[in-house]
Amino acid sequence: MRSLVSFVLLLLVAVVSAISTTGNRLLVVLDDVAEKEGYSKFLGDLESRGLTLSIETPKSESLSLFHLGERAYDHVILFPTKAKGLGPSLTANILLQFLGANGNILLTLSSGSATPSALVSLLAELDIQLPADRTGLVVDHFNYDSASAPDTHDVLLLPPPGPLRSDIKDIFSAGAPADQLIAFPHGVGAALGAGELLSPILRAPRTAYSYNPKEQSEAVVDDLFAAGEQLSLVSTFQARNSARFTLVGAAELFQDKWFDAEVKKTGGKAVKTFNQEFAKRVSGWTFQEIGVLRVNWIEHHLNEVGASNESNPKIYRIKNDVTYTISLSEWSWTAWNAFSVPKNDALQLEFSMLSPFHRLPLRLNAKQSTAEQAAYTSSFKLPDQHGIFNFKVNYKRPFLTNIEEKNTVSVRHMAHDEWPRSFVISGAWPWIAGIGATVTGWLAFCALWMYSAPVGGKKESKKTQ
Amino acid sequence: MRFSQPIASALLLAAAGVAQAASSWSFDEASLSIAAKKGADGVKEKLNAKNPLSKPVALGSTDTLKVALTAKDNGKGKRPHQAFVILKEQDSGLEAPFPLSTKDNGKAVVQISQKEIPAPLLVSTKPLKASIVIGSFGSAQAYNSQVFEVEIKTDPSAPAPQFEKPLRYGQKDEIHHIFRADPKSPPKVISLFFALAVIATVPALFIGWLSLGANLNHLAKAIGAAPLSHASFFGSIVAMEFVFFMYYTSWNLFQTLPVAGVVGAVTVLSGTKALGEVQSRRLAGER
Repeated sequence: MRSLVSFVLLLLVAVVSAISTTGNRLLVVLDDVAEKEGYSKFLGDLESRGLTLSIETPKSESLSLFHLGERAYDHVILFPTKAKGLGPSLTANILLQFLGANGNILLTLSSGSATPSALVSLLAELDIQLPADRTGLVVDHFNYDSASAPDTHDVLLLPPPGPLRSDIKDIFSAGAPADQLIAFPHGVGAALGAGELLSPILRAPRTAYSYNPKEQSEAVVDDLFAAGEQLSLVSTFQARNSARFTLVGAAELFQDKWFDAEVKKTGGKAVKTFNQEFAKRVSGWTFQEIGVLRVNWIEHHLNEVGASNESNPKIYRIKNDVTYTISLSEWSWTAWNAFSVPKNDALQLEFSMLSPFHRLPLRLNAKQSTAEQAAYTSSFKLPDQHGIFNFKVNYKRPFLTNIEEKNTVSVRHMAHDEWPRSFVISGAWPWIAGIGATVTGWLAFCALWMYSAPVGGKKESKKTQ
Repeated sequence: MRFSQPIASALLLAAAGVAQAASSWSFDEASLSIAAKKGADGVKEKLNAKNPLSKPVALGSTDTLKVALTAKDNGKGKRPHQAFVILKEQDSGLEAPFPLSTKDNGKAVVQISQKEIPAPLLVSTKPLKASIVIGSFGSAQAYNSQVFEVEIKTDPSAPAPQFEKPLRYGQKDEIHHIFRADPKSPPKVISLFFALAVIATVPALFIGWLSLGANLNHLAKAIGAAPLSHASFFGSIVAMEFVFFMYYTSWNLFQTLPVAGVVGAVTVLSGTKALGEVQSRRLAGER
């Protein structure tokens, strides 16, 4: 009975902890608290995943992201506001500090309201550009919802995005039904800078473009902000500390209306939107519920017959055979799972002093892996250079926690008695023979010098001289 | 009743076809011209909304490519909201849009020169695919089709356009350390030959000495005169060689030094007596 109770308790603990890896305090910033009705399904979904929601407006005086220098929240969602500014508690600087303190931000925009200048400068800081005048509307005359926007073409319909590159795991649309579409209503597109920390989740279709409804209502001629796949509709920024920032161009994407809506392309048939699942994955990624990696342990040892198998020694010798193993887990929604490296990608180990001497792939070691963790291992020969080296795993990929692990070891040169003996080296044989000949000659000379009797004839000849 | 459904769907299809034909964007009176800056006569081609040009047009570094067309909605000239020429790099799929300046009667024109084309497209080795996209609000179906190809001819005398791919997190190339070559020995036959040649000097030396009359005839005499001294003196010389041999094979310096000291002391102490006996023989004229 007791074991059953403890089991149930354990289960409860497991369920309660089935949330983000960095915390569960979520701040929702809405223009008006009443607006939350429109997002009830999305917010309810977040709550059911174990996040505790605090709903505030930018005007609220008690609103503060930090309390006594510590983060007061773990995550923030910003919904669009009508106000021009966001007030003193949500400046670009404070939001950046929040990212710097490992807080995660989900920012939503809407073409219906001008983006506050605090957010524009925050985005500029992250190298994300918004259309000039803080308003823009993305339209596509090819992929629009003919049910809700037959004339305005501003409800874009996009297939689930698929992986960003062939070597990146598809975490936002894996398993999505092929016929479902993401509705992107009344949204703002952004142009991303060239930095490696930025990656788009959802790009606009080839024929889409962004225009300013106030000034370019007649035709888009000059000042085209961006078009086609240069327009990023849902973009992410993962800082070097792995804090996550997501920009969703259309806040309406999260509204109940579009979770249930049936949409229809011109000439197509009506299908359900993928929005609910997409919103879950985008928010889950932002709040560190998926794509989170953890290093469990690192072990390296000598891999030589007869040598000690001490773990993680401080010193090796040049040309030693060494085995390095790193164990990784990936958090996915509720549990730590064994991390599997995506196809076409490789987890690489560098053995480096200033620059890498070796960069080798780490391969899955099934013997040391379990369901919760995967061990990756590589065996190699240390370089013939002594010095202070690092075992370095630098695994940084879009949408995955940055991993940078460095283990320092000394590599010494050969000791004088570790070289092969001279008799093994064939080139040394004449010299060894020379020493032998000298020794023999010396001993024979000593004996002769002391014990040799003079020869008769010689003595006489000496005397005659 | 049974065939009403196919009939209905056929009707629907026809209706859809009519609807499509009734309201769709296209263009007409389109031309593509390339004007060189130096006044040389450029290329001029007629563009067709249905058939793309068969051959790519060349765009030199000082040339200007001009596309002029009349956008038509259902056959009537009308100003579209979107009229773009989109250049596409074939390998990477990168695209650059060039909006046409449009007039109310649907006349639209755009001029593109090399400096307006982004660098990643300029460095392309394959011709750029150019499509024209015409679309606007409302129910009219938008037009999007590839109509011609542009081959970029860069000026060989000017510096080539530079484009460096931005850094992206991903797998890097493998590095395998190249080890220094092991020290090499000459062929064993040669080492063996010279080792034997060196060893052969020992018998040669002995033969030489013997031929000069070397002998050990005074051994008995010397032992008889100073047995302990001679035995320990010669013994210590042999022992010293043994110490050297042990140092070579297994001993370290700290094992060697005390033993060598003891052996050396024996050599010195017994040497005075033994060598004194040798001197006495010399003084006696026996050497």
